[in-house]
Amino acid sequence: MSIVGGISLNTPVYRLVEEFRTDPSKIFNYLDMIYKNIDRVESKVKAFITIVPQETLYSYVEALLKEQKERISSMRLLGVPIAVKDNISTKGIRTTCASRMLESYIPPYNATVIERIIREGGLIIGKTNMDEFAMGSTTETSAFFPTRNPWDLSRVPGGSSGGSAAALVAGEAPLALGSDTGGSIRNPAAFCGIYGLKPTYGLVSRYGLIAYASSMDQIGPMARNTIDLALMLSVIAGHDPHDSTSLPAPPKDYVMALKELDSKEPKLKIGIIKELFEVAEEEVRKVALKAVDMLCSYHECTTISLPYRTEVVAAYYIIAMAEASSNLARFDGVRYGLKVSFENRGWRDVYTEVRTKGFGYEVKKRIALGTYVLSVGYRDMYYIRALKFRRILKETFDSIFKNVDAVISPTMPILPPRLGEFAKDPIKMYMADINTVIANLIGAPAISIPVGFYNNLPIAVQLMSKPLTEDILLYLSLQLERRTGLKDLIAEVP
Amino acid sequence: MTAKELKVIIGLEVHVQLTSLKTKLFCPTPANYRESPPNTHVCPVCLGLPGVLPVVNRKAVEYAIAVAKALNCEISDKLIFVRKHYFYPDLPKNYQISQYIGPGFTSIAKNGYVTIYVQGKKKIVRIRRINIEEDPGRIIYIGSIETSPYSLIDYNRSGVALLEIVTEPDMENPKEARAFVEKLIAILEYLGVTNPELEGAFRVDANISFEGYGRVEIKNIGSVKDVERALTYEIVRQRRIIEQGGKIERETRHWDPEKGITVPLRVKEVEEDYRYFPDPDLPPLRMSREFIEKIIKSMPELPDERIERFMKQYNLDEYRATVLVLIKWLADFFEETAKMYNDYKKLADLLITDFLRWVHEYNLSPSAIKATPTHIAKLLSLWDKGILTSKMVKELLPRIVLEGLDIEKYVETTGYVRITDRSYLHKIVEEVMNENPKAVKDALSNPKAINYIVGLVMKKTNGKADPQIVKNIIEEMLNKLREGS
Amino acid sequence: MFTLYKVMISMLHDNIIEYLERLALLKFSDEEREKLRKEVEKIIELFNALLKVEGLDNVEPLYHVIELELPLRDDEPLHHLDMEHEMLKDNAILENGYVKAPKTVG
Ligand SMILES: [Zn+2]
Repeated sequence: MSIVGGISLNTPVYRLVEEFRTDPSKIFNYLDMIYKNIDRVESKVKAFITIVPQETLYSYVEALLKEQKERISSMRLLGVPIAVKDNISTKGIRTTCASRMLESYIPPYNATVIERIIREGGLIIGKTNMDEFAMGSTTETSAFFPTRNPWDLSRVPGGSSGGSAAALVAGEAPLALGSDTGGSIRNPAAFCGIYGLKPTYGLVSRYGLIAYASSMDQIGPMARNTIDLALMLSVIAGHDPHDSTSLPAPPKDYVMALKELDSKEPKLKIGIIKELFEVAEEEVRKVALKAVDMLCSYHECTTISLPYRTEVVAAYYIIAMAEASSNLARFDGVRYGLKVSFENRGWRDVYTEVRTKGFGYEVKKRIALGTYVLSVGYRDMYYIRALKFRRILKETFDSIFKNVDAVISPTMPILPPRLGEFAKDPIKMYMADINTVIANLIGAPAISIPVGFYNNLPIAVQLMSKPLTEDILLYLSLQLERRTGLKDLIAEVP
Repeated sequence: MTAKELKVIIGLEVHVQLTSLKTKLFCPTPANYRESPPNTHVCPVCLGLPGVLPVVNRKAVEYAIAVAKALNCEISDKLIFVRKHYFYPDLPKNYQISQYIGPGFTSIAKNGYVTIYVQGKKKIVRIRRINIEEDPGRIIYIGSIETSPYSLIDYNRSGVALLEIVTEPDMENPKEARAFVEKLIAILEYLGVTNPELEGAFRVDANISFEGYGRVEIKNIGSVKDVERALTYEIVRQRRIIEQGGKIERETRHWDPEKGITVPLRVKEVEEDYRYFPDPDLPPLRMSREFIEKIIKSMPELPDERIERFMKQYNLDEYRATVLVLIKWLADFFEETAKMYNDYKKLADLLITDFLRWVHEYNLSPSAIKATPTHIAKLLSLWDKGILTSKMVKELLPRIVLEGLDIEKYVETTGYVRITDRSYLHKIVEEVMNENPKAVKDALSNPKAINYIVGLVMKKTNGKADPQIVKNIIEEMLNKLREGS
Repeated sequence: MFTLYKVMISMLHDNIIEYLERLALLKFSDEEREKLRKEVEKIIELFNALLKVEGLDNVEPLYHVIELELPLRDDEPLHHLDMEHEMLKDNAILENGYVKAPKTVG
């Protein structure tokens, strides 16, 4: 790996920013390095749907350095190229949701998180591939192409934020944004050997995130180490008046909070969710249990039992599909999106054609099922029942979190599947979400931490804690990171 | 039983725009779109662009609570918005953020009532519920709906705050329905939440059925007058079908105000299933007693209270008080004038008859009326003093309304004045009687012939003499002649 | 509950997919439809796991996962008017400032 001026492809972001602040010209060196690497690996990994051309970013940085000269020394993401999942609105940059429906959609406004990144001097380097409208766990339902796992190109990177995870671990960007409705940040983070955090519901503004299931969607940071994760979270978290579900929390410096906890090293109580280890594949369980041992050698661990499994997945998919059927109603090809001829044709006919051509099979299936569980006669049986179960589940975890500070499980019960493997059995794909969907159903924060490898395939654990205790998750993550040494990983792409 | 004897049942659904709001319901886009070019009052939120989220306008909630209170409703302790799903080209998200009563959600208010007066009879119309919701955009056609090769949409109206007010089917004839809408509009105007003069500020859908027959919904009624017209048309239409032994189909019809008829809307292809559920983008708002009380305390005087006050303070009967009060600007005008003129009944009568007739005749908006309370007070005083006759008042009123004619100046400069000076008139009458002995002779035997002499006096005074006084003087002189002979 | 579930599965085989296509305004190809029939049956079976959870009847549905009061916004206009159609020009077809759309009849 080449090193220029003390900077290499796997230099952590917090170091990069220090370097760039003292010598902003290094931003251009770093960009050269990044774009060169993209040229080398992108055709194999296919992490991006849209890449901002190098010249564009160059002139953007030049203007930034000139126009905001007095502010650059305080910019927390100065010169850092950031890969953004393609369901987060970027003004003037195509935002597709990996769907034919939005293949040529150019948002006229920025998501709040994008505004915040720009304010901190961050650079949007490109828009990453994903499962269409975030509906999937492999990035294979993308209407354009699947993304490959940089550790093994025959395998999926996970999903739905698979492009963001792959871009990080392939060295195409040092920092990324994903979105997580049922595990879409943590799943690809686990499969790609990087760090991913789904924040407390309401901590990060959803304004500009193209909605899948509004009551569970959260944007979150993805990074190659814990401190970078904390840094990105500090930038994007905080109250937003454009989002009525945004928590009235004041801005918080998670890097500071993390360092403070790390210096005090409090002993915490950690609950090991028995059943979630039992359902995991053997190799995954073995590696995950090693991580449990690492934590338990310092903290106080207890085994806890989760009385529900299939019910959790059922409730999650009912709620997600119901909300999706509503959120995706707006795609009719009139104000934006796939265009067909309107001349002398009725709206019903036109809308049906637009939605049939614009949506892929998985999306249409979820819209149809979501419509079904909300329709007269089934609403009480499925949708309302799922929400009642959701309350039971939340209360279950409320009482769990009275006794423990965090719970641990494998992030994914399986190793990254081969391309096409899940498409054959959608129920298997849905059931693989069992560990991750809980956090979304109850609104709690959860983090995925790489803890080991099996046959060069990453394995991760997930820690979940009560709402607004992201700092605890980051603290435990940093401890594990030190023990495993798994940080700033970049896969060798053949 | 013939169709004539069958009971008619009418229920209304009124959509009112809260036109006093500066911004739309869920975004800060300016809501005063009426004079603007298409698609200029838009932002990502009211266009329903991917990724946008709604944020509720506080004032809209306060207005809704005030209206709910004015309509005597039970106000919910929680504000919850739901999504109502249906596809249509004017609806940007293909769902409307509205309210509904269901498991874990409810309307902002329900179970209220409004008192109306129809031909002197008092009646209660119950309110079923009130919802806050967003208005869709507006669709334009090239030519007619049928022949337009495509449609054009203006989203300026999209997202403007509406109240949907639904009554129980308590009205029995078109007059009652009209009285309800008039009363409702008056209440909303008094609250200052809407300006009913603005095009499209309120729209009425009516449900009408003959007892035991199918219910028909009439959509697109845009004025108070048309509420009565559309329902009257529909009653005639349905009665004819019933009398011919036909069936009334349950259907939705469209009111065509130009042709004055209702026409069937195309039958919907898909069963309506709105799939209501609470909008996950909008958490509930707990509305505390204090929150609601604070809004209620700042509410202005409402029509019913004002009617009562008019009856007490101005000693008016309920009919006059009601007619005045339900036209807010007229009631305001009355009160201003009443500060300068105290025959309140005479004032009320002038305002609710001739004055209002001219305003309607010239199709004037309240702000276009040139007459001020001072004008009317002066006019009535001159009339009381006998300087103007009732005929003159009627003649001059339109000029006062239209031009703001200063009646005192006018009377001075034109000599448009009545001669009431008895001694002067006495002199004239003497002259005329001396010049016309035959007429006097006739008048002595035939009382009707007096009018001839009156006419001669009027001619001599260029019509300015007060005919009543002249007549009295002539009668007195004739009596004297009789006594003397 | 179990009989109800059987009734539903049989409905799925008949008209439900067509009904949902009409309601959601989209169509499945013949190939997709075959796949969907098989998958939907399994997914509904998954959903039915919830029907067996005891004691849900008196539980309030949980719509919003974080307890939060709805924030209210002051009635102050923030935006300029969009005279240049910045919000629509890249993505809609504009005709004299109007957005072109299909017919509302036919
Ligand atoms: Zn707007």
